[in-house]
Amino acid sequence: MQIEKLSLLQKIGVYIATFFFLLFVLMPFIEMIRVSLRPMSHLMTADFTWWSEDFSLQAYRDMWVTVPLLGRYIFNSIFIATSVTALTMVVVVPAAYAYARLEFPFKTLSLGGFLAVNMFTGAVLLIPLYRVLRTLSMLNTYWAIIIPGVAFLIPTGIWLLRSYLEKIPRELEEAAFVDGASRLYTLRRVVIPLAVPGLIVVGTAVFIGAYAQQFLFAITFNNVREIQPLPAGLYEFIGYQDVTWNEMMAAALTGITPVMLVFLFLQKYLVAGLTAGAVKE
Amino acid sequence: MATLDLQNLTKSFGSAQVLTGIDLAIRDKEFVVFVGPSGCGKSTLLRIIAGLEGATTGQILIDGVDVSDAAPVDRGISMVFQSYALYPHLSVYENIAFPLRVARLPEAEVKQKVGRAAEILQLTEKLPLKPGQLSGGQRQRVAIGRSIVRNPKVFLFDEPLSNLDAALRGEMRVELSALQRDLDATMVYVTHDQVEAMTMAHRIVVLNKGRIEQFGTPMELYHHPATRFVATFIGQPNMNLLPASVIGTGADGLTVEFHGGTRMTIPVDSAGAKTGDRVEVGLRPENLKLGQGVSMRLRVLERLGGTAIAYGQMADGLKICAALPGDTTVHEGEDVGLTFAPADAHVFDATGRVMRRRQAPALAA
Repeated sequence: MQIEKLSLLQKIGVYIATFFFLLFVLMPFIEMIRVSLRPMSHLMTADFTWWSEDFSLQAYRDMWVTVPLLGRYIFNSIFIATSVTALTMVVVVPAAYAYARLEFPFKTLSLGGFLAVNMFTGAVLLIPLYRVLRTLSMLNTYWAIIIPGVAFLIPTGIWLLRSYLEKIPRELEEAAFVDGASRLYTLRRVVIPLAVPGLIVVGTAVFIGAYAQQFLFAITFNNVREIQPLPAGLYEFIGYQDVTWNEMMAAALTGITPVMLVFLFLQKYLVAGLTAGAVKE
Repeated sequence: MATLDLQNLTKSFGSAQVLTGIDLAIRDKEFVVFVGPSGCGKSTLLRIIAGLEGATTGQILIDGVDVSDAAPVDRGISMVFQSYALYPHLSVYENIAFPLRVARLPEAEVKQKVGRAAEILQLTEKLPLKPGQLSGGQRQRVAIGRSIVRNPKVFLFDEPLSNLDAALRGEMRVELSALQRDLDATMVYVTHDQVEAMTMAHRIVVLNKGRIEQFGTPMELYHHPATRFVATFIGQPNMNLLPASVIGTGADGLTVEFHGGTRMTIPVDSAGAKTGDRVEVGLRPENLKLGQGVSMRLRVLERLGGTAIAYGQMADGLKICAALPGDTTVHEGEDVGLTFAPADAHVFDATGRVMRRRQAPALAA
């Protein structure tokens, strides 16, 4: 339904509902921004106000001093999430293609298995994972955070991408096959270029997943400060005496800004990809 | 360039038998059309020739070489798909060049070959465009361009015109016939449209329920349909079938009696027919004329200009259709009499086999 077709009253209703929904979703962010802009001493005293005279960017300067490795943590977060995404996609693309197009034994069973694995959260498997990583001498390395991340995201990636690849007309691949192209050539020259919107959707979902789950793996499998990602690094704002909330919020916001900018840019692909094939075109 | 032989080909999916005992010998430079109703197995047969599907049993020979287990590209075939199957992210140039890129030909050769194909198909100006920017007919030509660029021995077409509108379809029919002559190529073409089959084919294969009903020239199929199925499938409007019973066989043909009691001797080979057998007499609408004979109540008259198609019902409820001259003066709702020359009639026995006509037009071989 298009918004132009609604009556004025309906439009007002839609906007009010949207406003409250957004307020509910964005309130934590608004609060983060507010806290990050106020001096520590005023945080606990004043009543809630949308705007205050004492707003300043002081916390955004001080945070680099309070936590000297902050830049490193932000880099680690993005580096780990990007590595996880890249490795996951390298595995997911051919796997999803195989599940979309080939017939092989235990196809349905293994797909169901992937879904079952997804039912376990990382937390349930932390102790066995710890033992595996210790045996492989990977504790306290980037691998300790990246490998479990990749492992947990592959099933989701395969499920998401498979359904997208199934929508690519089979005749395109048959045409390539008739012209002598191998499976891999067809995948590279025909399927992947056509699946770009789907790849962006899956890549984004994997990246968000990787960004969110790294905290758990980082605090469990790593105690080297230089490797710590931002969510774990933020703990350093919690001191013996007090917590510098404003700097912590400023650091969190700074850390997610680059990622947010990229997603803002990818948004049009996301919307197109998530609804692709939902209606007959 | 190439002959194509299919020997005792069968195909089954699970327990479903899709193709049974397909034996065909297609000659060099021949344009053969597979025609039949949907689900008759014609597309499956084409896909087996292409190598997209394996046959359950039987052999495929191209130029006398068994290619049953060869990959499509090694068979020397190329295929044009119903949906065109153009790559939407590649330019027209790259679409046509695709088979050459797969074969890793040097750039200069690719350029020369694509250029030539584009010239034949009048696509030279469209080369930098994407398929999405082309009309249906142009897309169709790009798909053909991609199939000719590799100089295959046999061209396969899977209902290539079914996505075009009627006017463009007529135009492309002429272009395809001309292309076939220019390329001097063996072509196999699948369609469900008997007009396409009649107009383009050198020889037509009529398929029904996975079997070949008849393989012959368009005029053979029209004048000497081997079965009731072919008779009703080929020809527009469809052939009328009147039930009758045999009352005698003789040197001058088969004498039958229609439901109304009318008797007629039809000049066909009646060997095997016995008195009392149920038969069906097939009459093409264009062979029916106004006159004293069978009577029908005219229900609808479609005036097409040159001809007028009369749809009516006989006394026993049987539907009948006649192609009358365009200036006919009959009216809807009227009772009209129809007559025909016995030599124009086809007779089918109870199993649907034809009794060979003796006085049909001579056929060019």
